[in-house]
Amino acid sequence: MKRLHIHVVIAVVLGIAVHALTVWALPRLIMDRIITLGGGDAQAQSGSRASSGVYLPPPTDHTQRRIVMPSPDLLYATCAFDLREGPLRIRMASGYPRYWSIALYASSTDNFFVVNDRKTAGQDIDLTLVGPRQADTASPGEVISPTERGFLLLRLLVNDDPEVRAAAEATRRTLRCDRGRA
Amino acid sequence: MRRPRLIVASLYIASIFLGVASAWLWLTRVGIAGVDAGAWRVNLLAGSQNADAYTRARVALGAVLALDRSETLYYTTQHDDRGKALRAECRYKIEGSPPTARWWSITAYGADNFLFPNAERRYSVGTESAQLDATGRFSLMIGPLPASEVGNRTWIPTAGTGGMRLTLRLYNPAPAVQQAPGSLAAPSITLAGECP
Repeated sequence: MKRLHIHVVIAVVLGIAVHALTVWALPRLIMDRIITLGGGDAQAQSGSRASSGVYLPPPTDHTQRRIVMPSPDLLYATCAFDLREGPLRIRMASGYPRYWSIALYASSTDNFFVVNDRKTAGQDIDLTLVGPRQADTASPGEVISPTERGFLLLRLLVNDDPEVRAAAEATRRTLRCDRGRA
Repeated sequence: MRRPRLIVASLYIASIFLGVASAWLWLTRVGIAGVDAGAWRVNLLAGSQNADAYTRARVALGAVLALDRSETLYYTTQHDDRGKALRAECRYKIEGSPPTARWWSITAYGADNFLFPNAERRYSVGTESAQLDATGRFSLMIGPLPASEVGNRTWIPTAGTGGMRLTLRLYNPAPAVQQAPGSLAAPSITLAGECP
């Protein structure tokens, strides 16, 4: 009987631990799937693979059922990154005359960096992203990711005007994610 | 000898099951914390590095890849101004003043957090498409699209039956709203006509 009490206590502790582990792991599992699909499984998607590890999803509509709550007002481009093999150089021309932003996400889902058209004041994007293990040797101005793996999401505000969509398309095609430093 | 072992094994299996199930129920059934503005609620930690584990998990389930509040505020709701759950088969009128932000939009999602299929391919109304009246206010409709409204750019069509979620996005909100998101004069949501 006394032994059973011990097992009950262990079972309660186990249940609490499993609860906490589930809450902790869920966002990381979801993000891991996004990073994997966003970076290395273009065959399963209807968008197109651009150069330098960039994926160009089709314009957002109801057939997009990969990432929850997509915004129909935005045209996206994505780039999954893994910094274990070294820094990542992110480049993009910034001539698009409407709202755009580049956001970086850690594998925990945290949005640790964002830059938009107004912050760059018309300058082209040329960023270096380094992993947490290279944080000590990072140069000033380089962005430090809290996790080795992560995800880049480019957003461009569009509307129904074909000229606007063409300009957004041209801009997202200039996005590059290459190994190396700026 | 065998029976006590079976009881202990069942105990541990049950504890693992309850651990997972309680986490899932807590994340999916308990509303996300945040600040209210009218019928809408904004979570100030969505996308933030300061988010707690529960917020991070809820955001991952319902709004993964959200931007930090410094860039965007996401107001969401699953009920109207009277507190009644939004239904895809019902019609709602949304009215208000354009939020003070660089750009804003209201989007309708099904209970699965994806866009409603519709032949019009219209899913949101906002800065780009809202029509303002003489007093500078906008109004739009959300619900099953009647034939008489085909082509109406301020009607967001829904499809099917079941729950619905609305999201009001404020990109680069005005400093006053960013500092006090609850102070937003949020658009009203009222049921239009009878709900089948």
